[in-house]
Amino acid sequence: MKTKKLLFVTQFEELWFDALQSLMDLRKAGFNHVVFLHVIERDKVAMKRGKGYLKDEEVKLREIANVRFIDWAESLFEQGMEVGAYIIVGNVLPKIISTVEEESVDLIVTGRHKKGKIEELYAGSETVEILRRTSTPVLVYKYMLPSGKINEKPFEQPLLALDWSESTDRIVEYLLNFKEIMRKVIVVHVASAKDLKSPSAMEIQATRKANRQKMDDVCEAFQKAGIEAEPHLYIGNTCEQIEKAAQEREATMVVVGATGQSKLKEIFLGSVARNLAENSAFPTLLIPAHMKVDNR
Amino acid sequence: MSKKILSVDDDPDIIVFVKTVLEENGYTPLIAKNGEAGLAMAKAEKPSLVILDVLMPKQSGIRMYRELKSDPELKHIPVIMLSGIAKRTFLRSQEALTEFGDEPVPEPSAYIEKPVDPRELAETIARFVK
Repeated sequence: MKTKKLLFVTQFEELWFDALQSLMDLRKAGFNHVVFLHVIERDKVAMKRGKGYLKDEEVKLREIANVRFIDWAESLFEQGMEVGAYIIVGNVLPKIISTVEEESVDLIVTGRHKKGKIEELYAGSETVEILRRTSTPVLVYKYMLPSGKINEKPFEQPLLALDWSESTDRIVEYLLNFKEIMRKVIVVHVASAKDLKSPSAMEIQATRKANRQKMDDVCEAFQKAGIEAEPHLYIGNTCEQIEKAAQEREATMVVVGATGQSKLKEIFLGSVARNLAENSAFPTLLIPAHMKVDNR
Repeated sequence: MSKKILSVDDDPDIIVFVKTVLEENGYTPLIAKNGEAGLAMAKAEKPSLVILDVLMPKQSGIRMYRELKSDPELKHIPVIMLSGIAKRTFLRSQEALTEFGDEPVPEPSAYIEKPVDPRELAETIARFVK
């Protein structure tokens, strides 16, 4: 099996080593190489009036990150993992993208960054921007499940939310990379109320049946790989219903495709991927529509 | 002709430090910033000694050490590990890789945990490069 790389992006505020420990199951799916990335944001060391570039501050921040990474790396090295580390001064987003390219990573793990409303509107979502500019899936990690339990095995029972876009097959194929660590997949499609607007009960039932058939086909793909799978059709607001389904079905993670719409459209209309990444209580695995699947 | 010594480290301060120690002691420094580049340079230049960090981008010193010691043309080159990672961790990681099916590799010639004193480094090098 090809060794796969996981990029663990941390600013030491939202993502710590215990998150990484809960992802150690990924080794069974071939992830044997972890790359740490910490970006010292430029404004923390940038020129201040009368002070110039804060070199001493940069050295201090770099060494603090280094001490933490050495400690984490020791634990992983002792388990036979391969580990690399980057501590870079700059802006977070371009540094994530350059590291993804440099290291050819297979999965990016980030925490959830809460921003102010205005900043969010103009800056757009970092996570969605990563998806747009790389073809690498992003796992936005969240520690606690809504039940209050620590999420020890995020990949154990994922909820796969499908919108029947062109990338559905690729998403299913990508998720099968994790067959060794998935016990059950909850396949969900959310139909909007307007999809069921027809005055005819027969037509509504036909829509339900068509969706159900597509979900059954997806479930079959997982079952063939030895993974339990069950289909569920929800109706209403997509994000709200996905969140509801994840809670009702005791999912350990939500998986969605990211369609890669234009930035302008994204800012004004938002997207399911962005909304879930930022607001869902569950870890959210976002799979870019243009991703190439390499199932080895 | 002065002996070539390869230093593999990604930390700019350590690169300057090691380069200075090597030059002051009459060696020719070769520099690589990760295990992948280090291994390629070792194959091309056949240095008399390698000074190797552990935690680096692209390929760690643990992997590079293993590959170096598994290569019939390179395995005789003495290696001084110079790292913030503890020696115990390095040895355990090599044991873990051996358990996963890789061939066992010998211990490095020396292991120095950072920070290092320039005299200690020069004396350690001199033990292996005559």
